[in-house]
Amino acid sequence: MSNQDYYLPHGTYWPIIGSIGISTTFIGFANQIHGVEWGGSVMGLGLAILVFMLFGWLGTVVNESVNGMYNSQVDRSFRWGMSWFIFSEVMFFAAFFGALFYARILSVPWLGGEDNNMFSGATSALETTKYIWEGFQATWPLTNTPGAVGQSGVEFSSGFALVDTWGLPALNTGLLLTSGVTLTYAHHALRAGQRNALVFWMIATIALGIAFLGFQIAEYGHAYHEGLKLTSGIYGSTFYLLTGFHGFHVTIGVIMLTVILYRIQKGHFDSDNHFAFEGVAWYWHFVDVVWLGLFIFVYWL
Amino acid sequence: MPHKQKAPFWGLFNLVERIMSYIIIAVIIVILFSLGSALLGMVKGGKEGSEKMFKSLRIRISLSVFLFVLLMFSGYMGWIEPNTTMLPTQ
Repeated sequence: MSNQDYYLPHGTYWPIIGSIGISTTFIGFANQIHGVEWGGSVMGLGLAILVFMLFGWLGTVVNESVNGMYNSQVDRSFRWGMSWFIFSEVMFFAAFFGALFYARILSVPWLGGEDNNMFSGATSALETTKYIWEGFQATWPLTNTPGAVGQSGVEFSSGFALVDTWGLPALNTGLLLTSGVTLTYAHHALRAGQRNALVFWMIATIALGIAFLGFQIAEYGHAYHEGLKLTSGIYGSTFYLLTGFHGFHVTIGVIMLTVILYRIQKGHFDSDNHFAFEGVAWYWHFVDVVWLGLFIFVYWL
Repeated sequence: MPHKQKAPFWGLFNLVERIMSYIIIAVIIVILFSLGSALLGMVKGGKEGSEKMFKSLRIRISLSVFLFVLLMFSGYMGWIEPNTTMLPTQ
């Protein structure tokens, strides 16, 4: 479509800096696992190099974009790049939701003797469990791993009340959904060219995201204090992995929104040309939907 | 200790809870569709794509707020029950 010349990027040193950062991070991490004294600090150094690389490289891209060095072909490649990144994110969360559904719908009931599993010759569920872990009852949330306990009479599933759905989880859902609303207002303001409204709604979105993270940390403290840990059976594992990775994504989203706010202040966008905003906005809406899914499938259904 | 049995969402004993679950899941699916539609708009770009993206995201957030209110109200009315305690299934 475009008659413009094919864009050729100039040479750059950022990729090699990224490689050094990743290598340093993993060397540090591996040694940290082996209990080597300097492991942790080397890993920290590697992560710092990575952050430096990200800001440096993306900063270069922003400068080139603002200076009008990009044509429509580059614009399309950005859009496709963002959509592939999103695809990988969707697959990432699909795997964790899949693990939750698999454990809850299939594997835990099987251990309890349901369906035609490998012990289908058994005449009752009670007989089925006898062959694996005697006395095992398929319960949800399953908070103890059957192999670790149960053999010696330890209860399979301790009956503590889990985090109250009406408390922090509901509040956090409200906060995150409100941030989705404020971001939609910001999006509208940007498209309508209302600069002050845009800045106001962006700040509101960032503040709501930070509030969400604060309450999430409080909820973790509460759950951990109640005895729910990463090792608390399949429920504890899926709970912390899903909500933990979600919280990590909210953190990334807050950082990206802050960068976008900075770029708005710098005047990088106009009502027709704001792909960076669109990419980050979609990401925030996605993280919002993931939370809604978590709220429904972990806390309700 | 007769705990109230809590069946998984695809086979609920309670008809009201089952109907509510289907409604909730249907709304989630529409939300996912509008999010996907926004993505297509973003990839397309230009005035048209940008418009499509914004409108889809507006539908997505409106439905999400509706779903949240529906969940809270259903929980309050006892149509659905939260996963707050250990509930044996046998």
